[in-house]
Amino acid sequence: MLRAKQMSRLLIAASRDQMQAVIRELYRQHICHIEDFVEDGDGEGFRIGMPLADADEISSKLIKIRAIKNTFGLSSEDLPVELKRSARDLRALVDQDLPAIQEDVEALVGRRQKLEAALREHEQRIKELTPFTAVPIDLGMYRGYAGFSVFTGRIAGDVEISAPHERFFSDTVPSNFIAVITPNDYREEVEKDLLEARFQAVPVPDEEGSAQSCIETHAGEAARIREELALIQSRITEMKTRYSEFLAACDELLTSEVEQAEVPLRFATSDESFLIEGWVLADKVAGVRESLDAVTGGRVFVTELEVTETARVPVEYDNPSFAQPSELLMDTYSRPKYDELDPTAVLAIIFPVFFGIILGDAGYGLILLAASWGLGRFITSDAAGRLLTVLRNASISSIIFGMLYSEVLGFALPWEPIIFSRHLNIGAHATGHGPEITGLLILAVWIGIAQISLGRVLNAINHHHHHEVRGVAAQLGWLAAMWGILILLWSMAPIPYMPDLTGMAPVVAGLNGGGVAGALICLAGIAGIACESALELVELPTIISHTMSYTRLVAVGLSSVAIAMVVNYIAIGMLIGPQLEHFSALGIVLIIMGVLVFILGHALNTALGLLGGGLHSIRLQYVEFFTKFYKGGGIKFNPFGIKSKFLED
Amino acid sequence: MVDPVMTLTTVEMVEASQIGMKSLAAALAVVGTGVAAAFAEYGIGSAAVGATAENKDVFGLVLLLTVIPETIVIFGLVVALLMLF
Repeated sequence: MLRAKQMSRLLIAASRDQMQAVIRELYRQHICHIEDFVEDGDGEGFRIGMPLADADEISSKLIKIRAIKNTFGLSSEDLPVELKRSARDLRALVDQDLPAIQEDVEALVGRRQKLEAALREHEQRIKELTPFTAVPIDLGMYRGYAGFSVFTGRIAGDVEISAPHERFFSDTVPSNFIAVITPNDYREEVEKDLLEARFQAVPVPDEEGSAQSCIETHAGEAARIREELALIQSRITEMKTRYSEFLAACDELLTSEVEQAEVPLRFATSDESFLIEGWVLADKVAGVRESLDAVTGGRVFVTELEVTETARVPVEYDNPSFAQPSELLMDTYSRPKYDELDPTAVLAIIFPVFFGIILGDAGYGLILLAASWGLGRFITSDAAGRLLTVLRNASISSIIFGMLYSEVLGFALPWEPIIFSRHLNIGAHATGHGPEITGLLILAVWIGIAQISLGRVLNAINHHHHHEVRGVAAQLGWLAAMWGILILLWSMAPIPYMPDLTGMAPVVAGLNGGGVAGALICLAGIAGIACESALELVELPTIISHTMSYTRLVAVGLSSVAIAMVVNYIAIGMLIGPQLEHFSALGIVLIIMGVLVFILGHALNTALGLLGGGLHSIRLQYVEFFTKFYKGGGIKFNPFGIKSKFLED
Repeated sequence: MVDPVMTLTTVEMVEASQIGMKSLAAALAVVGTGVAAAFAEYGIGSAAVGATAENKDVFGLVLLLTVIPETIVIFGLVVALLMLF
């Protein structure tokens, strides 16, 4: 807790004939984060390694499998595992069965593409022919005249044409249809008349016979193609159910083989030997050494290197189980560095508390708790699961604070608020003493002071860890400046729920003893900050602004209470209540409206509460808390290998 | 000669108008800071979405930058609350 897991830096060296055995063992163990070898001038004869001999062949097989999986729309993550296969059996099957499956799939997909193209062609033809069904003329009759011009197309309505012509107009098809035949001499006049009537030409389809019979032929063809497509689709589905697990297992096997075949690209190699530099959890070093010795028959050299200050150590969280879901929130910001404090556990406690202080309503808390539980039953992904656990904790905290504030969906619980009241006087007949705004705001400021002080102390510990005296002095300076300002304020004006120092005798320039002490502490603090860097002094106003920022805990919460109470007042006080007293037909409609307002209003407020409570609590951590001590930018510990799902170990 | 009923009504009117002024002042505090926060976040937010599209890793950082101006509206809200209660 508060620190990442201890890492050891390993150097593994062996002769090249042991390379495959070493790679396979490291892959199987899945515990070594390999560091890429970078070639520089003085590599003492070492170069970046070459992939193992069969890497190309395995890669091309893998591409085929992924192509088939794509056709089937398969995702390995969603597949349940029925039986684990052994890698050796599967490897034999890959060579034996895969080409046949691939051939079948390719044939089916090719046929499907051809049929789909043909289907589109027929559908297009039917579309082109449809307007011509309005006129009882064979399609052949529209073409092949030397002395006549034919116009066919859509038009808004029937049109008067002055030149000699013959025309057919029909409004039985969508956007009407018109066919006009005229001697070539009058062609331009007719065209002009037609265009004025907003005529849109439709070319005559290149077919013979009546339009209706052509359409029937095409429709028949299209139906036949659809049947065949359905057949092909059912065969693809059948193949998918039959082979999905086999394909997922092959994918896993070949992915692991490709990774193993290509990992020498990250090694340093010479003609005879190879070197691997990597990171292993400190308590696993002995195990790695023993297992590598076993698989190579002792022909491997494993040694632990010193961890230097500049080393980029990968970071693996070391948190108690209650804090693990919050690692997601940490990764969203940035993973901690290896040598700094990891605030995940603090975040895991404070985030739900802040959420509860903001939302603080037993009703909304229960809704969100039910939502997190309900969604958790459908969602299998790891990240979403963690997020839901965080939400669950936050909703429980919200229920607890709801009981303390005595709030459920904006109504009061049957007891008086145990801590500060947030009940607003909303509505014409509202009575009560109203919310205790001052108390709440000062509570929020106290929380801010406490968290900012904690942040500064954590930063001082970080600096102490690196033996940086000036850094420690600066952090103590920030603490002194903040508390100095506070003492100064207490000596100047009485503030409720805060110490009152106004009663002390005045000493100098209107300041009393407390005021002088506060000013001195503050000045000493400023000197401490300047000790590290004078530029930091421009940040001094953040002492006030960051502390004040915590008042959002109250402000955002009160706005949510206000919305809830307004919804209740409109739904019950204005719509439902009066109608229940004097029943009428119109009253029932108003009651239904009231119920709708109640449900929609509270649904909206639940969503707003989730957003407001979640975003503002996390923002207080990221902006106000983390900026005091946390840098982040650590590398994720990513050990070589994968967790096998479909294969036996 | 001062009419006592008239005086009472005038006092009531002044009180009511003071409550109204207070509410207006509170509304102004929230409106002004709300517009300011929205305007500040508008620029940062659009840049943040662009940056996230380029590189997903900066999401945490840009979320932080986007919410920084929100403090403005919170101050407005706090001032309004202090005025009203």
